[in-house]
Amino acid sequence: MTALVEPRVAGRPASLVDLLDRLIGAGVVLSGDLTICLAGVDLVTVKLRALIASAGDTVRSE
Amino acid sequence: MTGSATYLYAITRPLFDDGFAASGASAGLHGVSGAPVRSIAAGGLACLVSSVDLDEFGEDALRVNLEDLAWLERTARQHDEVVRAAARLTTTIPLRLATICADDAAAARRLAELDGQAASVLDDLDGRDEWGVKVFAVEEPPDDAAPIEPARTTGAAYLQRRRSQLERRTARTERAGQFADAVYRQLEDCAARGYRHRPQDQRLSGVAAPMLLNAAFLVDRQRAEEFRHMVGALAADRPPDAIVLTGPWPPYSFASVQQP
Repeated sequence: MTALVEPRVAGRPASLVDLLDRLIGAGVVLSGDLTICLAGVDLVTVKLRALIASAGDTVRSE
Repeated sequence: MTGSATYLYAITRPLFDDGFAASGASAGLHGVSGAPVRSIAAGGLACLVSSVDLDEFGEDALRVNLEDLAWLERTARQHDEVVRAAARLTTTIPLRLATICADDAAAARRLAELDGQAASVLDDLDGRDEWGVKVFAVEEPPDDAAPIEPARTTGAAYLQRRRSQLERRTARTERAGQFADAVYRQLEDCAARGYRHRPQDQRLSGVAAPMLLNAAFLVDRQRAEEFRHMVGALAADRPPDAIVLTGPWPPYSFASVQQP
């Protein structure tokens, strides 16, 4: 029998990285007509560059 | 580049033709650049949109802005807020961040192109939410941390010990991978569908352990309790924070339509 255990639920707001996985990494592929070219850019790479740069700043400043 | 464009958030059934403002859901709801959220209709569908400035959301500006973490976070959170407002009211196909058309007429043309496909995606999403499950390699303290007593260690003994350390570490990594696969398979049984996102980089996840699984599941609302308890049971005999549940989310990972 499955024990009635409440799992650990991450708090709100959602972490930015979880959100970006969904808003950029997955989901509907519908190109806006102004952003067709942009869709060709690897947005995930863009995202990770921005975030890692920022995380690095945070680490250094601590 | 100056002028304005139409930013698209989510596709729904035509409930929003005239109902979005009337429902009160749009009261105080602003889009990514502060303009009010509106609904436009086309081809048997509705779409939540807002006007944006090309100075901020034109293609060149976007290339720069997407690299700006503060801008990216602000925009992503506002996009999410609009999508969630829609999802509270009705079945919703969330659109990707920065889906932008020249104007409302161009957005309506896009919608009309999607008609049949979007309708069947909406049918598939009815009554379902997305849940996220992350599994981390948070292990019992490593057994190879025991200090070696130098005085009693010969070269051969050291090498032997070193080899068995490496073997244990490899075995742990394999066990962890198998555990993540098992978690995914078990939860998939309780879900309509599952999707494995790429595990997040350890520098971004905020957890000091490698991420083994970064999964999303589309779960019937009627089975949400069962799903949560299943996650709870899986987590119960693991170290704290080894398994983290997020959600419910709008069905970001499952609302796939392809450009015709």
